Amino acid sequence: MPRTGDSMRGLAVFIADIRNCKSREQEKKRINKELANIRSKFKGDKQLDGYQKKKYVCKLLFIFLLGNDVDFGHMEAVDLLASNKYTEKQIGYLFISVMMHHSNDLYKLVIQAIKNDLSSKDPVHICLALTCIANIGTPEMAEEIGDEVPKILTSPDTLHGVKKCAALCLLRLFELKSDKFIHAELSSRLIALLSDQHLGVVTSACSLIQALVTANTVEYKGCVSLAVSRLSRIVSSTDLKDYMYYFIAAPWLSVKLLRLLQSYGQPTDSAVYERLKESLETILNRATDPPKSKKIQHTNAKNAVLFEAINLIIHYDSDAALMVRSCNLLGGFLNSKETNLRYLALESLTKLAVSDFSRKAVMKHQETVVQALKNERDLSVRQRAVDLLYAMCDRDQAEEIVGELLAYLEKADYSIREELVLKIAILAEKFAQDYKWYVDVVLNLIRIAGDYIADEVWYRVTQIVINRDDIQAYAAKTVFEALQAPTCHENMVKVGAYILGEFGNLIAGDERSGPIVQFKLLHSMFHLCSNQTKYILLSTYIKLINLFPEIKGDIEEVLGNDNQLRNSDAEIQQRAMEYTKLSQIASSDLLATVLEEMPQFTERESSLLAKLKKKSNTLVKERDDGDNTSLQNGSSPVEVERGLPSRPPPPEVNLVELNVELSSAPVDVGGSSLLDLESPSGTAEIPEPALESGTPQDSPVLNNYSAPPAAVAAAPPAPAAEPSLLDMFGGAPPATDPTKVQVVTGLIECNEAAQPNFKAFICSRNNGILFENEIIQIGVKSEFTGFEGKLQVFYGNKSPLPLQGFNTTLFISPKDQPSLRLEGQKVTLLISAGAQIPQTIKATAVAAFGETPLLQISFSAAGTAHTMVLRLPLLVNKFCKGTGMGAQDFFMRWKNLNLPAQECQKVFKASRPMDNDLVKGKVQGFGFQVLEGVDPKPDNLVGAGIIVCEGSQVGCLLRLEPSKPAQMYRMTVRSSREGVPELLVNLLSQDL
Amino acid sequence: MIKAALIFNNHGKPRLTKFFTYYTEEMQQQIIRETFLLLSKREDSVCNFLEGGTLIGGSDFRLVYRHYATLYFVFCVDSSESELGILDLIQVFVETLDRCFENVCELDLIFHMDKVHYILQEIVMGGMVVETNQTEILTHIEAQQRIEKQEAGIFKPSGRMGGAPARALSAAKSMAPNVNLPKLADLQNISLPSFKKL
Repeated sequence: MPRTGDSMRGLAVFIADIRNCKSREQEKKRINKELANIRSKFKGDKQLDGYQKKKYVCKLLFIFLLGNDVDFGHMEAVDLLASNKYTEKQIGYLFISVMMHHSNDLYKLVIQAIKNDLSSKDPVHICLALTCIANIGTPEMAEEIGDEVPKILTSPDTLHGVKKCAALCLLRLFELKSDKFIHAELSSRLIALLSDQHLGVVTSACSLIQALVTANTVEYKGCVSLAVSRLSRIVSSTDLKDYMYYFIAAPWLSVKLLRLLQSYGQPTDSAVYERLKESLETILNRATDPPKSKKIQHTNAKNAVLFEAINLIIHYDSDAALMVRSCNLLGGFLNSKETNLRYLALESLTKLAVSDFSRKAVMKHQETVVQALKNERDLSVRQRAVDLLYAMCDRDQAEEIVGELLAYLEKADYSIREELVLKIAILAEKFAQDYKWYVDVVLNLIRIAGDYIADEVWYRVTQIVINRDDIQAYAAKTVFEALQAPTCHENMVKVGAYILGEFGNLIAGDERSGPIVQFKLLHSMFHLCSNQTKYILLSTYIKLINLFPEIKGDIEEVLGNDNQLRNSDAEIQQRAMEYTKLSQIASSDLLATVLEEMPQFTERESSLLAKLKKKSNTLVKERDDGDNTSLQNGSSPVEVERGLPSRPPPPEVNLVELNVELSSAPVDVGGSSLLDLESPSGTAEIPEPALESGTPQDSPVLNNYSAPPAAVAAAPPAPAAEPSLLDMFGGAPPATDPTKVQVVTGLIECNEAAQPNFKAFICSRNNGILFENEIIQIGVKSEFTGFEGKLQVFYGNKSPLPLQGFNTTLFISPKDQPSLRLEGQKVTLLISAGAQIPQTIKATAVAAFGETPLLQISFSAAGTAHTMVLRLPLLVNKFCKGTGMGAQDFFMRWKNLNLPAQECQKVFKASRPMDNDLVKGKVQGFGFQVLEGVDPKPDNLVGAGIIVCEGSQVGCLLRLEPSKPAQMYRMTVRSSREGVPELLVNLLSQDL
Repeated sequence: MIKAALIFNNHGKPRLTKFFTYYTEEMQQQIIRETFLLLSKREDSVCNFLEGGTLIGGSDFRLVYRHYATLYFVFCVDSSESELGILDLIQVFVETLDRCFENVCELDLIFHMDKVHYILQEIVMGGMVVETNQTEILTHIEAQQRIEKQEAGIFKPSGRMGGAPARALSAAKSMAPNVNLPKLADLQNISLPSFKKL
């Protein structure tokens, strides 16, 4: 076989053959023939030499590239690794890094070969091995070879070519096994690589350090000043020999260094920062210099550095002058001929738009951005323009920007419509000054892009209409008009059905939209709609019966129609049947109760934002962060200012309760079907909203209810999905009143350390601070009369941010379940900054109870969830009333209580000075009346009291014998009720 | 990080595929197909970056590409890379190929797939950039070829590839930066004799 050096003739022939194939089949045939040939060669008796192996392996690579499976040849490739010819080794490594993955059995052999090559004297062999690890490293490699690589990297004898490879090799190993490579000695030597003479080494080291920094920010902090000085040297130099790229000094390395600096905040050392600032200014200055070359590569490289510098400036977000300058430069790019520049400029401006320093400067370009939206030919650039408009929108510009976006929506690419709809809906809601405008915008959205309306969008508009009395009539009128259009999207029907069902009465005065007109209009769409919509329509009909008894006949006719009653869809049947019966049987009063207007939706994080986030748009996150900053700066966001449902929705709480109720009740009316209904879009996305939005508020709700998992899971996605049905069940006498605080019988862990002063509540104190930290202050006031107690808990928000998703739950120990009854109002979900809200809790002592009830409080502040469990100062002795008696009487009673269970005695050390008057005060505060002159010893103390419970009274007697020399007390309590002495002794002894 | 470097022609035929994160063979093929579909409908005037297809990781990843005559050079990168930087990198890659192969064309890539891999390896390793300096890259390639020739026992330039680096180096500074790759149509019916001339 003739050998012509590196060009393998056999390979060339094979490739030419393949290329001459006229059809896919022919090609397939040729490939199979070749595969068979290679296989037989590999299996054949004749020993193949390195060249032949190399050729065949090369062919296999080519076959693989064409998209064919290659399942052999690995062994031959591994053999090639062991060859001492560089070219054979090289192709072996290539094959392995392209075709082999670490499940392969031959991996051990590969590792062995790599080991051998690493210890080779020939730098090219070392490089091959290092490259192989960098490309396909495995944890085993990290384990076996991991120690070798840092040595090579930091050894002074290593050639720079090898160092480059070693740095990237180490990077891969670090990603595989990070703990192995974190130690102080190594880090200082790695940081030092940033000052290496060879810029190639610095480039690789930069990538490596960037990765290490994320794992160990503190240890690598030293890299900041080195990176700054390196950058400064590059920026100020005009001749870096080979590293000049089209007249720009080392653009790649500059970008890398600027990226690395973004891992840290602004340098605190002012000298370092000054130096960095100088470099940044130089980079900004150069942007406006006349180009040194007309080549596109020149401007490209220059701008690559510029954009990264701007990113760093944005990252620091501290220097107004630099940020405004960046804005102006970027604004100039918006009109550039280069599409790439326009794209990147829009993207960077989006980041600048959320900073207070540069917001105004970005706004100046609004006109240009709107133009980009209209004229830009490239979809991805248009999308960036949308992002920017979304980010820079504020209250003053909202109408204009939303208008532009709506106009764009009409011709926007289908693939981005859904996201665009969400963004418009969010902006309209967030910045609405007039809610009529909001309603108009959303109805417009449905009209223009009905198919792209996510369910959340129309849920949201109905929620807002329900929560705001002032627009209900307007909404009803507008939606009524929209429904009259010749063509009307099904989503419009849904909104229309829902709003008219709730507020149709508000426009019924006008003859043109009278009851029967409304009903006929809605019903004219009925046959065109999907079953989902039909369900809603049926619920609307029953609500219309309630609103307009005069058209009851017409509606009953429709409900009772066989089309519904015998519909193939069970849900339609069921609804039609139930509603017919309801309308026939229920009195108008009952009907009015059942179909009462929907209660206001509680406010949570907007489901729209959650949905948009789910579309994995990082910009939204930034936007959100931006909001938080503006909050901190004191400009309260719209939603707080007006208590408006921007952080809203779904009535999940109610739903969960309902579902629990329904699924546990024997009534099979709605139980399962309700659940099914509520997840019309399929179960796949059910748990996501809660998880995705990360709203910490969700968890307490779910936790508190020991609901069956199915019910809980079904709850989140159903904001107003089936409002009407819900409405109906919600109107029925509820088992759990949603306005009441949740009282749970169960155990929960309580952090005693959080209430160091709780003891003070035992004796005497009824009012005081229960808990306080930097965010919240919780105080309590209590009053006890007879067997009833009234507690007022005050929650004060000490932070500059609102506390969201505020929720409280009471826990009674199972042991006390029948002994103590608690009842309280639910608190509002949101506590604005600096505000204090009260919560009233009524307690009824049914019998003597042992444990203090626990109060669980959960909320989120500044995006962090907080949950705390506190003991309520609701102690059994608070129901104890002192009673007076003479010595004789006392001793007679004392002697009568002689059963072992009726007495409890405890000897304990005094925790405070044993002052007679103080002790007396404590005992009186505890609830006993101190009986003077009963005990002959003057230091001894005797008391009597009655614990007043609902339906019973428990008498208690106390004897307290202090022993001053020993600093001890002996306390004895006797009581007619078993268990009570222990309770009292344990309580009182805590505070003496 | 660079997740993958792909070269395919106007018909979607892969000419080089290099994945720096592991995907099954089938997935690799699907990614190539998806990427081709995304790029092939884009006009040349639109911008050179776009969000990655769903297979490779969706919007967290960007495809940065250049279209030279018959070939698409595509790098799929994550958000830690500068888009313009990657464009420069593609340019360095193509210029290096051009110097090694003297007016590189699609055929060079087909018949010297291994060489293309080696050149890429000098620029990107494990998804990270190793070297951007062309002179340095060429020196390495040249050194490799010297060894190659030694090992093959032939010292006279035996093919285009062999002679290229020396000439490339001398011509390095004066080289036209924009490579003009010949149209595929010209090469459609390549037959062996003409290949032998190489």
